[in-house]
Formats: sequence, C-alpha cells, structure tokens
Amino acid sequence: MLPIDAAAHSSRWRRRHPVDKAVLGLGLTALAVSLPPWPGAALVLLTALVVLLGPAGVPARKLWRAYRVPLGFCVTGALTLLVQIGGPDGFVTLAEGGPARAGGLLLRTSAASLGVLLFAFTTPLSDLLPRLVRAGVPVAVVDVALVTYRMSFLLLDSMGRIRQAQAARLGHTTRAATWRSLAGLGATAFVRAFDRAGRLQAGLAGRGYDGTLRVLVPEAKVSRPFVAAAVVLLLSLIALTLVLKKVLP
Amino acid sequence: MHIAEGFLPPAHAIAWGVASAPFVVHGVRSLTREVKEHPESTLLLGASGAFTFVLSALKIPSVTGSCSHPTGTGLGAILFRPPVMAVLGTITLLFQALLLAHGGLTTLGANVFSMAIAGPWAGYAVYRLLKRYDVPLMAAVFCGAFVADLSTYCVTSVQLALAFPDPGSGFLGALGKFGGIFAVTQIPLAVSEGLLTVLVMRLLVQSSRGELTRLGVLLQRARPATAPGATPATDRAPGPTMDTTTAKTEAKIKATDQDTGDARTETEARAR
Repeated sequence: MLPIDAAAHSSRWRRRHPVDKAVLGLGLTALAVSLPPWPGAALVLLTALVVLLGPAGVPARKLWRAYRVPLGFCVTGALTLLVQIGGPDGFVTLAEGGPARAGGLLLRTSAASLGVLLFAFTTPLSDLLPRLVRAGVPVAVVDVALVTYRMSFLLLDSMGRIRQAQAARLGHTTRAATWRSLAGLGATAFVRAFDRAGRLQAGLAGRGYDGTLRVLVPEAKVSRPFVAAAVVLLLSLIALTLVLKKVLP
Repeated sequence: MHIAEGFLPPAHAIAWGVASAPFVVHGVRSLTREVKEHPESTLLLGASGAFTFVLSALKIPSVTGSCSHPTGTGLGAILFRPPVMAVLGTITLLFQALLLAHGGLTTLGANVFSMAIAGPWAGYAVYRLLKRYDVPLMAAVFCGAFVADLSTYCVTSVQLALAFPDPGSGFLGALGKFGGIFAVTQIPLAVSEGLLTVLVMRLLVQSSRGELTRLGVLLQRARPATAPGATPATDRAPGPTMDTTTAKTEAKIKATDQDTGDARTETEARAR
C-alpha cells in the first residue's frame, strides 16, 4: 500500500464523510490559488499545516515525506521566474520583480499542495471512489477506477518482488542488463495485469457478475457542524486576508 | 512532467480543464459503450489502468546519468487507443495526485491535456502513419513512443509559457526558457522511453500475443488456406481497434512465436 493511502486508512478522520474533508481540504486549496499569495496563501499554508498536524493527527514525518515531492517541483518551477530572456542587459538576465513572483508562486503552490494533502491523508480512495457515482460520474468509469485502484497495489507489490529478484540475479549491474530488466518488468506488469483480470473475470462470472461491481462502503453521514466549522474557517481566512492586505506592506 | 498543485493561475487551470473536457467525455462515452456491450471489459480496462499507473512508477536510466519515469502515454495509446487513454490517463493522474502527491487537482485539466490527450494522440498518429507506409512494427512503436513523450513535454512547456510569460520577451521567450530546460533532460528521456517501449513490446509480442490481438495491435493468426496456392486469409482483430500489420511483420512475429514455446513463463522467468 502506498504511504499516503496507508496513512489515510489509519487516520483519525477516517470515519468522517469524504464531503466533510473535501470542504475543508479542497476549500483550502481553492483559497490558496484564488487569494493573493501574500498574505492569503501564507495564511492558508499555516492553517493547513496546523489542521494536518493537530486535529487531523497526520504524523509530521509522513507529511514531510509526501510534501517534499511537490515542494521540489515548486522550487524548480519557481526558479525559472527569476530570470528573463532578452532585453538590453543581455540574453539571460535577472528578471525585474522575479524574486517576488517566484516567492508568490512558491507560497501558492505549497499552500495548495497542503490542502490536497489534508484531503488525501484523511480520505482513502476506497471511501471516495464508490461515492463518485452520486456526484454524477458514470458507473462504468467508477468501476474501472475501482479495479485500477485495487489492482495497482497487487501490481506494485509484484513489481517490487520482481525488481528484488532481478537485483539478486545481477540484473542491474550494467546498463544493458538494466534495460533488459526494465523491459522484462514492464512486460511482466502487462502480462500479470491481464492475467489477473482474466482470473477475476472467471471468479466473478461464477458468482453471477452482471457488469457492476458492488462494494461495501463504510457508512458515514455528512456532519453539518463539521462542514459549518470548515466554511467559517474558510470565510475567516478570506476576511483576514483582505484585512491584512490593507495593513501589511 | 506533472504541473504541480496550484502552479497555474485559476483562469489557466479552468481553461485547460475546459479544453480537456470534450476529449475525456468522448473517452468516457466510448468506455461506457464498450462496458455495456462487453461487461467483462471493466476488468480488462481496470487492469489496463493499473498497468499504466505501474508503468509510470518505473524508473528508467537517463542518458544524462539521472533517473526518471516514463510517461507511458505512447505504449498506452498503441495498446488501448487514445480515447480510452484519455479516461485511463485521467484516472491515473487523479491517483497520482492523491496517492503520490504528483501533479494536482487544480492542475488536473492541464496535466490531462498534455499527458492523456496530446501525448497519446500525437504518438498514436505517428504510429498509425508509419504503419500505413509499411514501416516495421518496432520502428513504428519507437517513433510513436518518442513522439508521445516529446509532445507531452512540448505541450507542458506551452502551458507554462502561457501562464508565466517572460517579462522581457513574452510568450516566445518563456517558451524558449521552459522548452530549453526540458530539452536538456527530455530529449534523452524521450529516446530512453522509445527504447524501453520497443523492448516491452518485443516481449509482449512473444508472450502476450492473445492479448495484443484482442486489443487490435496484432492481427489474428492466419487461417489455413482452403486450396493449394491460395493466399492465406487473415482476420482483423475483433478488439476496439482495427489496426493492421504488414504481412512481413506478421511472418516475423509468427516465426518468433513458434520459437518461444511457453513464452509467458519464459518472459516472467527472464524478468526475474
């Protein structure tokens, strides 16, 4: 199981309805991209961090391990805004206002990422996917997504074992051997995926499969107090941003 | 290359979402129709989605010495066709955003456009074009995967340049800036992905002929001729695509197939 999903399954908010967490987490993301980076995104960043480490109870180490990936992309992306091409001073020069733009972009992306991580770290996909039908996503697509989700873990597990076996047989010692091993790994993933699909089909056919995959979804109700508190928090952030924007330089 | 969460301004994020929507809706309709006609396709499509997800987790060695992961768009488009890839790609990108923190939800539309629409369509177009001119299967697969990978990065460069025009030289300057940065790493990576795709396809031709035939990538085996000297009749695959291979390629594949014996076991043993 992937670390974020494993953390979501054991999250303190695991039993909450996905809508509760979507309002809060994705609401924070929406604010991060729509409010001015300073001070709006900075406030969102701080709020998301407090909620993640506090009420949501996400372990700091796990959060950092997941957060450093998008953060790395954000930093490398923001670096390009520091320079400009062309102009009287040379072909590549420092862009006027580049640091401010890069800083703003960094704040926005890092805050938005934390909002999504809040949702991802508290909501297992197995809780979310079956409920997408009620949101208007066609049943066929949800079923395909469910099979994809469940089969991905099996395949990732198989890939890990095969990779280990290849390494034990000196499959990664030279460049040529690495390429051969990788090709074998990719082809085996395909073979395994289709083989599993075939066996699953045979098993389901014997149990009266009619084309729809019915799965048990843990019962949960949308908590009105939680949603109301989340909305109040989001509105407070908007108000605080507008006030601070006038006060701060 | 996934555009990170919140990287694009809201207007751009919405615009790319709107641009992607028709392709995804078209893919969803194709998928729904396929599932209605053949309920067992749900499992095969799910397996295909899992394969795409796992493929993007493979680390390939780059010519520059670093490692990166393949986009898988070229192989996916050749195996499953671009409309299906639009849906599978969207599902994969959603999973990557929520399970791996790669990409994002606000940038999902932009990422879908580059990785699940532009890449697969460009790669598949090149693959089909080369097949039409009787180019050998593996050469067509290499070019398809190479173009799919490269076009994904070109589109990403355009998306970033539109969002962040250069203060001095505008859109074109920004395109050169982002494209230049990508070119250093992505051209070698596109070559690497092309090579990897060819190697994977070679193994698949040996070990998964049935599945490739069902998907329409290969033709069905030739039926025995009814009269001496008659031309062997070949059927097109009943799968979602009506693709063709040349007789020459077919003969080569048959010869390879005869040599392989229990090729599936052999491939897995080789992989191990």
